[in-house]
Amino acid sequence: MSSLSRDVAIAGLGYSAISRAGTPDPRQLTFDAVSAALRDAGLRGADVDGIFEYKFGPDSPTAQETARMIGAPDLAAFADIMASGPSGLASALVGVMAVASGVCETVVVFRCLTREAGYMGGVSEGGERLADQSQYLVPYGYLGGIIVDIALAKRRWLAQYGRTEEDFGRLAINARRWSALNPRAVLRDPLTMDDYLSSKTIADPLRLLDCDYPVNGAVATVITTAERARDLAQPLVTVDSMSYGTGGEVDWVFGSDFLYGGTIPCAERMWARSSVTAADVDVAQVYDGFTMVTAQWIEALGFCGIGEFGDWIGDGSRIGPGGDLPMNTSGGQLAEGRLHGISFLNEAVAQLRGQADQRQVTGAEVAVVASGLYPQCGAMVLTTG
Amino acid sequence: MTETDVRSMDLRPRPEPNETNAFFWDAAAGHQLVLQRCDACSQFQYPPDVACVHCQCTELTPTEMSGRATLYSYAVVDRLFHVGFASVLPYVVGLAELDEQAGLRMLTNIVDTRPEEVQIGMPLEVCFEDRGEITLPQFRPRGDA
Repeated sequence: MSSLSRDVAIAGLGYSAISRAGTPDPRQLTFDAVSAALRDAGLRGADVDGIFEYKFGPDSPTAQETARMIGAPDLAAFADIMASGPSGLASALVGVMAVASGVCETVVVFRCLTREAGYMGGVSEGGERLADQSQYLVPYGYLGGIIVDIALAKRRWLAQYGRTEEDFGRLAINARRWSALNPRAVLRDPLTMDDYLSSKTIADPLRLLDCDYPVNGAVATVITTAERARDLAQPLVTVDSMSYGTGGEVDWVFGSDFLYGGTIPCAERMWARSSVTAADVDVAQVYDGFTMVTAQWIEALGFCGIGEFGDWIGDGSRIGPGGDLPMNTSGGQLAEGRLHGISFLNEAVAQLRGQADQRQVTGAEVAVVASGLYPQCGAMVLTTG
Repeated sequence: MTETDVRSMDLRPRPEPNETNAFFWDAAAGHQLVLQRCDACSQFQYPPDVACVHCQCTELTPTEMSGRATLYSYAVVDRLFHVGFASVLPYVVGLAELDEQAGLRMLTNIVDTRPEEVQIGMPLEVCFEDRGEITLPQFRPRGDA
């Protein structure tokens, strides 16, 4: 029995083709990923009674448009979650709640991105009047999405803990160790620390190789009751516990914990509800939209103490193939591509099913997935059976 | 609008004050840094809001600050994200922690210095940048420190 009011299983995993170039139709990407996830589960569109999408940018099809494409007869619940959630994992967190509560029986969740919509570095035309909270940021050149925020956090982290950038470089290098084993990944060449340290700055001290890599692609997941999933196509993987987190005085810049955002309360709440502990985790899939976010999560999740990431990561081998805590085994968003949250969930489930091919972590029974950052945190513990 | 008007216009985005924050922007126009202080718990807050983020009291008194601060962190932006910033590259974006209260920070540019001279922990003082119809509080290295 999990901490949820009804036991919930992750029953189907699907991906579209993932590409670095071109302008594929987002409807095609979404249809391909959702259809693949349903096939993987042994289900059809006719079985679906809930659809949740995580969205920013207008280009992806809505939950209703997707229902039409897959032939869902009617939806008991649906939402297009705008970009204030824990990245794409938000759609799965809502899907789990919908099934656990009994509102839905079988839910499809998805995230579809194209390079164009995901690109945050565009040059604006100018002259805007800002009536919202951005008026305290953007007139000062806080631009490029949250790039400046992450650059500020990286410099503060290094100063506060007396560390060097190599700590974050270990995460960039780890991504490529794993992506070399993942045919889906778009960046598969190995990286050296010199490559990391010589990569250009986006907003000093944030480097290009601290940032994830934009792609065209869609990821989908099928969520249903554990009871139903036992009769479906795949080995059973269930949700043990989950939580969101925002942190206090909720804000990207002015929140009460500038170095960790909502990661710490999110992880504490999730573990308090879980049947396992951080020490039981066999494989971890942790958000890497920026390398320092992974470092925040590693500490918040309790894999080491607060401020101890640099010592803990060592030469980086412990999170690589054969390490004691294999992490981001798909290559993550840094190397598989920026598929935004759900891709971490799908990789965790593939590991727990024993279907991760060359990347398989032997005997993996407990996985943690953590996604998002600052006021937009979410995490899940998954177990076999 | 003539071509000259367009060229001389500052294209950087600017605040559009409303009834909640007009006191802050009006004070900046008079070259004063004024933040809300809660009548109940005496804590300051930034940005301005309709209630105290610490105790939710709605009685907040605009209070002039010393303008003294310490640099919590900074980033150097040297690429063009917005046409309005083309002439000011590279610029430094910092978080200034105000002397009055631990954790009370303002996002600001660090002005009147060069990026390579900026350091975490350096003492700062407020100054003001007039940008046409709006004035922004800014921070610069503090001379007496």
